[in-house]
Amino acid sequence: MRSWIERLQDEVAQAWTVAIKDVQVYYLTPPMIMFGLLLPFFLFFSFSVKREIGAEVGLARLLALTTFFTASSAGPVIIPMERRTGTYDRLLAAPMSLVTLLLGKTLVGTFFATLVSLVPLLVGLLALGATVANAALLVVSVPLASLAFSAFGLVFASIPTRSVGSIMMPSTLVRWPLMFISGIFIPLAEMAPWARVLAYVSPLTYAQDLMNHAVLGQGFLNPWLDLALLPALLVVFLIPAARLHHRSRVLGY
Amino acid sequence: MSDTIKVEDLTKYYGDLLAVDHINFQVQQGEIFGFLGPNGAGKTTTQRMLTTLLKPTGGRILINGHDLGRDAYPAKRQMGLVPEESNVYTELSAWGNLMFTARLYRVPRGKREKQARELLETFGLWEKRNVKVEDFSKGMRRRLSIAMAIIHRPTLLFLDEPTPGLDAQSTRAIRRLIRKMNAEGTTIFLTTHQIEEANQLCDRVAIINHGKIAAIDTPERLKAAFRRVQSVEVALEPIGRETLEADEPLKALGELPGVTHSAKMGDKWRLYTEEPSALLPHVVDYARSHDLQMVSLCTLGPSLEDVFLEITGQKIGTVRHDTQGTGGKKPGARGKRGGRR
Repeated sequence: MRSWIERLQDEVAQAWTVAIKDVQVYYLTPPMIMFGLLLPFFLFFSFSVKREIGAEVGLARLLALTTFFTASSAGPVIIPMERRTGTYDRLLAAPMSLVTLLLGKTLVGTFFATLVSLVPLLVGLLALGATVANAALLVVSVPLASLAFSAFGLVFASIPTRSVGSIMMPSTLVRWPLMFISGIFIPLAEMAPWARVLAYVSPLTYAQDLMNHAVLGQGFLNPWLDLALLPALLVVFLIPAARLHHRSRVLGY
Repeated sequence: MSDTIKVEDLTKYYGDLLAVDHINFQVQQGEIFGFLGPNGAGKTTTQRMLTTLLKPTGGRILINGHDLGRDAYPAKRQMGLVPEESNVYTELSAWGNLMFTARLYRVPRGKREKQARELLETFGLWEKRNVKVEDFSKGMRRRLSIAMAIIHRPTLLFLDEPTPGLDAQSTRAIRRLIRKMNAEGTTIFLTTHQIEEANQLCDRVAIINHGKIAAIDTPERLKAAFRRVQSVEVALEPIGRETLEADEPLKALGELPGVTHSAKMGDKWRLYTEEPSALLPHVVDYARSHDLQMVSLCTLGPSLEDVFLEITGQKIGTVRHDTQGTGGKKPGARGKRGGRR
């Protein structure tokens, strides 16, 4: 019988093992490149070109979009693929808790999004001459936002299906409206009060505000509130993900 | 001997469809237990519930005394699972797949490399250890899938259709490994369509049909309970003619006294009867009176496949018999399904 400390050590190591394996296996799959890498850039250029925004504003915006789309794409791409090939059964049958598996899957999106965020960061710093007001805050903000958004993607990934398409549709239907209500393209300070209330519903709002604090040196909300809410959202999103996994186990997916 | 698996009143509904209907059985420690059934009978559903992949609608599963419904963790540590599809990571090498599984099951570092090497050598994959699995053949993937299921040395191994589609060499290697693991104390739960495989490997078999356990016993006792599916097998050649008309003897032989039904099997005819010894003189008389020479003649006891077909309500003689590993029968040779009597 293993003690709870040994069990905890096991579970941490297992979550890490799942995450590293997913990085090795899925980092260059076409859906990951499409939804995780190219989409944020397309969106940024679609809504920013010829709008005369400053380099720093553009950098903060692109960082928020990249963490949001890349992190929330990993789970919806990987889990249905693994369900289809049967490799997900290998993970579900392994001696680890569902929370451990979900945390492992959350870490994957976090790795991808943090890594991909280096691209806009380097382009912003080197090509556009942007400066970062608070580098330490940025180093914390990017992985933290990625963690929350990765768990957000996991909610969709947990829908009982083996088809990436069946998950991408509801995922896109939710993510796109969130992008428009989250203070990415219209700053919170310039929003009508009712629109601002709507913005507070979106997890992306807090990531954008945090990026503004880190890159521009100012945001609309208290940065500590953003820093507290993002990890809290991780927990909030893992609950429906776990419930949907239980539903999958009943239905046989 | 203690029960490794104990299933009590296990039930599974998919919506209104009853897939597994209140089944009960035990698998004893050290057994090779075969789980047979036609497609859609509830085999895979049962196995998925036993391996925690599917939540039962009702009933209880105990693995080594641990209730899966309460805490599956200790049971999962003792299980290995080889599903029907070889669920290996094709983007990783054989070595990468084994290391991943070993880490997932928390096999200590030094031990995991030693065991991975041993398994790759046993399965003939050591030379290909650094090759991506996407370049592996079906047989190689199957062997790797089994190696991944046993790298943590489980005491209970679930195998779902381990050999279909494999070449004879891979099939033999896998069956040899199953016997070896069992001899070393691993309990094996074997789900298979290959009835002859179950006959050769299993200490006991359960036959599931329409979600219910229709029979459960040793293969020999099951066969003994179905004496009515004994048969006489005869191969005939014409004297003074080149060939026989295809249906010529079948119809006539099928009408001999005591024959319940008949089937052509390759160059032979099989006549099912409850009294093989009483039928033999009629077959001899038929051959003589029609200028036919008997190339071979033997009586056969019920095969496990016959028992399976009887229990599941399928017609005997409609399913191709597994002939793997058998040569042509000569007069006087022992029939593989029960022997000459």
